[in-house]
Amino acid sequence: MSGQRYQQLLADLRADYRPQREWGEGRGVLLVVGHFLVGIAGGTWLLSWWFGITAGLMTAVLLGGLGGLGHLAFLGRPERAFKMVRHWRTSWISRGFVGLTLFLAGGCLHLAFELAAPGGLAALIAGLAALAGTLTIIGYMGFTYTASKGVPFWNSPLHPVLYIAYAVRGGVAMLLVLAAFGHASGAALMPLWLVVTGLVALLFALELQGAAAGSDVAARRSVHDILAGRLAAIFYGGTLAIGLGVPLALGAAGGNYPVIMALVGLTSAAGDFFMKLSTVRAGVYRPLIVPRQRHRG
Amino acid sequence: MTAAECEHQQRLSSEPRAGDDVWIPSACALCYGSCSIQVHRVNGVAIKIEGNPESAVGKGRLCAKGVSGLMVHYDPNRLTKPLRRTNPVKEIGVDPGWKEISWEEALTEIVGHLKRIRAEDPRKLVIQRTTTVTANKNPFQAFAFGFGTPNLSVAGGGLHCGNGAHLISGIMHASWGILPDFQYCNYAMYFGASKGHSAGHASTSNMGMAADARARGMKLVVFDPMCNFAAAKATEWVPLRVGTDAAAALAIGNVIANDLGAIDAPYLKGKTNGPYLIGPDGRYVRDKDGKPLVWDLMAGAARPFDGAAADDMALEGSFEVDGVTCRPSFALLKEHLRQYTPEWAEKITTIPAANLRRIAEEFAREARIGSTIVIEGVTLPYRPVAAIAFRGNQGHRNSVYNFLAVDLLNHLVGAADVVGSCLGFPPVVDGHPDSGRPHYVPVATPDGLMEVGQWMGWHHPYPVEDPKLPKTLGLQGLFPMGMVSPFLDAPDREHWWERFGIEYRPEMLINFGANLLMSIANKDTMAASLAKYEFIVSIDLFLTETSDFVDIVLPDCSYLQSVDSRSNFPTIFSHPAGMGDWSWPIRQPVLPPDGEQRRFADVLLELAERTGFLPDMIAAFNAILELEPPYRLDGGRRYTYEEICDAELKHNFGPERGLEWFRENGVIRWKKKPQEVYWRPFLDVRVPIYWEWMPDIGEKAAALADPRGLEMPLEYYRPLPDWLPCHSHEVEKPGFDFFAFYYRDTLHTNSYTMENAWLDEAAQLDPFSYNVAINAEVARARGLANGDLVEIESDTGRKITGRLRLTECIHPEGLGIAALANHWAKGLPTAMGKGVFFNDLLELDWKRTSPVNLNLDLCVKVKVTRAAE
Amino acid sequence: MRLGMVIDLRRCIGCYGCQLSCKAEHGTPPGVFFARVLKSEEGRYPTVRHLFLPVLCNHCDDAPCVEVCPTEASHYAEHGIVDIDQDKCVGCRACMMACPYGNRYFNGERRDYYPGAGPTVYETARTLRHPEGVVMKCNFCRDRLAEGKLPACVANCASTARYFGDLDDPNSQVSTLIKERGGFTLHPEAGTGPNVYYLPP
Ligand SMILES: Nc1nc2c(c(=O)[nH]1)N[C@H]1C(S)=C(S)[C@@H](COP(=O)(O)OP(=O)(O)OC[C@H]3O[C@@H](n4cnc5c(=O)[nH]c(N)nc54)[C@H](O)[C@@H]3O)O[C@H]1N2
Ligand SMILES: Nc1nc2c(c(=O)[nH]1)N[C@H]1C(S)=C(S)[C@@H](COP(=O)(O)OP(=O)(O)OC[C@H]3O[C@@H](n4cnc5c(=O)[nH]c(N)nc54)[C@H](O)[C@@H]3O)O[C@H]1N2
Ligand code: SF4
Ligand code: SF4
Ligand code: SF4
Ligand code: SF4
Ligand code: SF4
Ligand SMILES: [Mo]
Repeated sequence: MSGQRYQQLLADLRADYRPQREWGEGRGVLLVVGHFLVGIAGGTWLLSWWFGITAGLMTAVLLGGLGGLGHLAFLGRPERAFKMVRHWRTSWISRGFVGLTLFLAGGCLHLAFELAAPGGLAALIAGLAALAGTLTIIGYMGFTYTASKGVPFWNSPLHPVLYIAYAVRGGVAMLLVLAAFGHASGAALMPLWLVVTGLVALLFALELQGAAAGSDVAARRSVHDILAGRLAAIFYGGTLAIGLGVPLALGAAGGNYPVIMALVGLTSAAGDFFMKLSTVRAGVYRPLIVPRQRHRG
Repeated sequence: MTAAECEHQQRLSSEPRAGDDVWIPSACALCYGSCSIQVHRVNGVAIKIEGNPESAVGKGRLCAKGVSGLMVHYDPNRLTKPLRRTNPVKEIGVDPGWKEISWEEALTEIVGHLKRIRAEDPRKLVIQRTTTVTANKNPFQAFAFGFGTPNLSVAGGGLHCGNGAHLISGIMHASWGILPDFQYCNYAMYFGASKGHSAGHASTSNMGMAADARARGMKLVVFDPMCNFAAAKATEWVPLRVGTDAAAALAIGNVIANDLGAIDAPYLKGKTNGPYLIGPDGRYVRDKDGKPLVWDLMAGAARPFDGAAADDMALEGSFEVDGVTCRPSFALLKEHLRQYTPEWAEKITTIPAANLRRIAEEFAREARIGSTIVIEGVTLPYRPVAAIAFRGNQGHRNSVYNFLAVDLLNHLVGAADVVGSCLGFPPVVDGHPDSGRPHYVPVATPDGLMEVGQWMGWHHPYPVEDPKLPKTLGLQGLFPMGMVSPFLDAPDREHWWERFGIEYRPEMLINFGANLLMSIANKDTMAASLAKYEFIVSIDLFLTETSDFVDIVLPDCSYLQSVDSRSNFPTIFSHPAGMGDWSWPIRQPVLPPDGEQRRFADVLLELAERTGFLPDMIAAFNAILELEPPYRLDGGRRYTYEEICDAELKHNFGPERGLEWFRENGVIRWKKKPQEVYWRPFLDVRVPIYWEWMPDIGEKAAALADPRGLEMPLEYYRPLPDWLPCHSHEVEKPGFDFFAFYYRDTLHTNSYTMENAWLDEAAQLDPFSYNVAINAEVARARGLANGDLVEIESDTGRKITGRLRLTECIHPEGLGIAALANHWAKGLPTAMGKGVFFNDLLELDWKRTSPVNLNLDLCVKVKVTRAAE
Repeated sequence: MRLGMVIDLRRCIGCYGCQLSCKAEHGTPPGVFFARVLKSEEGRYPTVRHLFLPVLCNHCDDAPCVEVCPTEASHYAEHGIVDIDQDKCVGCRACMMACPYGNRYFNGERRDYYPGAGPTVYETARTLRHPEGVVMKCNFCRDRLAEGKLPACVANCASTARYFGDLDDPNSQVSTLIKERGGFTLHPEAGTGPNVYYLPP
């Protein structure tokens, strides 16, 4: 038997630390894309709802739809996706699916009603449904990872908070892009972006620190993979440089130019994508035999 | 019957019926163990192989290889048509340009060669067969006898399984090999064997028995350079320098015999030649009838060994017989052992002297000399200790001493074929209660020493014939204690053939399976040897590395398409020892041949008929199978192999239990008796703790060999074992500081199973199967890391490459390499490029060959350097 | 009744018989091993132990794989067996991330053991039964149990290192072995309540 994926699988099964490769690699990238888009969608909806930016709401629904498609395309059996409603009692994926459905349906209806009769009750109900959906989808992702007991790195209770913070940062980023096109006011957004970015960075640093200092060898391995291993390039290049360095530099250079705002938004979002990609890919299964510590001397 | 009819019948007998859903009992052939299986066939497809719980051979369970057999059977790379080469150039990796031909064409051409050779000198035909399919022995032996060639060999050449083990076990235990009586043994020492840990004879059955022994608390002390299989489960792993087993065993023997005096005197007196008087010439002192004498302490006089009560025989002291000073052989052994102190052994083996002493004490204490036990109402001696060895121990130039030194420990304490002791694979069978067959027991020779009752090889291990000018290409005549020979392929063979006056040269080779290019020595030597043949026919399942040198390849049936009345070699080969059941299983086809595959045994009969020696082959079958009327085969008839199998089964088990009955039942079983299993006290046979004949054999061999330039080192021919270094121990080249050695992977059988996709996959997951095991600390000190590609160079400049696996489980000087791997044949795509080809380091020469049994040394002094990726 | 397995690490010799007999029973595709054998070392030369650890699905009492499964494809079947209804599975692979024991496999694209030659007769009959795009794992050989047979890896283990039975019955062989020999489970800290126990080597 040959084939690169197969060879990779055998190599992983042989390895002391077996990386998960189903989410985030190959077609699994679609899942990260899905999570990424849905996260931004949620954040965008929230902020747009708050600030009352209709273009933002529309963008959110659009991104949510695309994100949903990403999820679907990732599934081994997308034609059975409707079965995912079944187990909402315990499954975050199931909840996420219900939430996304609610969000998309509610969002579309809300926008339709708003278009037909602005300010009506139907629009409000639909909007609230979408809001409930939003809260579910921005929450579900983090919990999905936290519930993944096989991958200790993700088990941190910070993970859901982090994903919610991401969603907000994504929302801000999206609004920055929209602001560049005049659909929102940029003035309040840059400071907000800075605050949220600071929060995200803090949460992420705490999460890494927690994993690195914790007793779980697999989690430590994940941190190592991000900071100094197979994901370092994505992390330093994607997450830090593109997602943090570039927007900071751009913002300092002239945060009020529309082009720059858009660029800040886009690079910030790209950084989030890489951030998600690296944390997802850094997932290492809990080893069944704790690998021997290398003897020195 | 014509070939077509024969083929037709083969098909019929295994033709699956539409909608069928059956379990068919048969026998595995993924290694020589031949475990009993049952195959689930549904709609004509074999979908599962399981063990057959009705049989003691495997006891209903299979090893990883056995359960994976379907992947061999259904491998799309299997041969289905006879092939003929079109490219006359025979070189490694050069495409033979295979062309499909018909059986008629193939047989006609082969028969042409056979006829000519048989008319000229039948000995020009060489036959090689793999050990892996045990059932090939009888058909090929019958073919060779019938044709008239003595040049029949099993694969491995000088690397054959048990060059030392088989003949010494034959002499000392009337058996093909030895193992602990798992059911009762309390303390076993293993020297380079994995019995019960997934290799060796009766492998699967032994796995269960060894696990029971472990659960019962049997202590296992394993002397092995690597903590691989047996050692992993041992109470104690004793790492030692490769090839130094005799030194360890002799030191233990010294402590037992001299420091502790823990000997079983009644056993030594009654069951060994320990009391036989030895004169100053090292030979038996005999009476005028030629009977060896013992000293009768009651009579105060010498008596023939069978003329005194064993209890009265002296084991020690010095006596005068007819003016000659003589001593019992045991006294000589005891004195001989005195030189081997644990301190001396420590320098050679690296085992701390204190450990050797302690182990000797434990062994002696656990032996409970003098005790008895009642088994099924029979009172028997109870010696629950065993010292065991196999491939690793005796795969060296000092093969004989390495094995004998270990086995002598059993005889010192009387732990031989009694309860709890070292047992042979069953050498005593009383036969099925209905028919009394099979029946065989060891018998006493005139000197009182034991001769086996049943044997697989060409000649009985004892009495040992005198060396004579050799007539075979392997020069075996010179080496009456050898079996297979490296001279068949050695680079200087022509020289020796000339010197020894072999007046013919090999012209034709019939190869059955054996992958000679990989299993014997470095590939270049093997290639040169094979390229010399005018004509090679190979019966195989695949196109292997060896096929590159073959003229006609014949597609064989796999074990699932074949029939045999002796799937294993009942009962001394891969039958479990100890109490329990006797089983005689068969192999039967589960599936029809694919394409034009034909069963090899029928092909051989066809060739014999066409060449014109069928009656001789039939006569040979009668002799080998010991068939008597009314089942004696008629030389004037053409039989199918199924008919021959039928005759053998009826002959053994009665007319109602022919092949039909066995097809239905798969196996016949009956209960063992304590007197069969623990036969030693019941038979009046002795075994030699002093190999009186050895110097004589050595001198006679030397008298023939030395004048012809083959120097016969007489230190290998002494009556008592010694430790002699291997060539590798004498290499002093700087930088060459590892002893590379070989061991069997649990997932693979030699070179064969690498093509099995399931096994290959599992082996890829194993840390060791395809890697070179090296001591972690030593490796790190040299800056070598896990997964590094290294070049391993022998002291003769041969190089192989492999990836390192750092481990704590190996001696610092050892370099452990599993299996015969790294195939390059296009016909074995799964196997290609996997693992490490250890044998490419081996030289096929006299310096590395046992001068007694022709075993080729397996340890090589090597240098390890990092290789470019 | 709660079915469980006990693996005696003193008896186990790391022969891979379970890994391959499971493959033979289920005809799993390349790279899929419901049963596996892991090797490790403990100590340093020469006082080192070479250890073997056969693993398989633990059929957990509180199975995270069941909890996270959105479709109820992963479910508790009879007697505590955790199985996958492959007609329901959407292939989201959340269960793979949830299993603390790495015992689940995604059957992605079709793989043949002898590439280039297409599936063998055997693979056509056995391996291709396994649907693609879904997750697969050990099911304690439910089909065999229904026929009154032991799981394949248990029935075949030549060292008789594997035992199978009712953990709810305090007098069953498995319960007795666990009690007498100090049986333990893997990753107890994960709180999954495994039903595969190990006896110390
Ligand atoms: N370094 C080193 N080398 C060794 C050893 C060692 O300990 N160390 N051991 C030696 C020993 S003990 C042995 S026995 C030899 C074994 O040496 P070989 O007998 O050459 O064994 P395999 O390598 O298993 O090759 C078996 C061949 O038989 C073919 N075969 C299998 N089944 C069938 C069948 O049903 N019909 C036909 N026609 N062919 C079949 C396969 O295609 C395969 O090519 O190797 C020896 N080589
Ligand atoms: N799984 C499996 N089973 C097999 C086979 C197979 O290839 N694979 N082959 C079959 C055949 S043909 C044979 S002949 C038998 C052989 O069966 P075994 O006798 O078990 O063969 P090996 O594994 O070659 O050698 C046994 C041990 O010797 C060790 N050893 C090597 N050199 C030395 C040494 O100098 N001294 C000591 N004390 N130990 C040493 C090795 O590390 C190994 O652990 O197995 C048969 N069964
Ligand atoms: S020990 Fe040999 S004969 Fe027995 S199942 Fe394994 S491969 Fe087959
Ligand atoms: S089959 Fe039995 S002995 Fe072999 S590895 Fe599996 S559990 Fe261990
Ligand atoms: S071992 Fe893994 S797959 Fe099996 S029940 Fe437990 S969590 Fe689920
Ligand atoms: S992959 Fe299938 S079994 Fe696993 S969680 Fe998703 S739906 Fe359930
Ligand atoms: S119980 Fe059945 S499915 Fe599970 S590992 Fe054993 S053989 Fe495989
Ligand atoms: Mo062998």
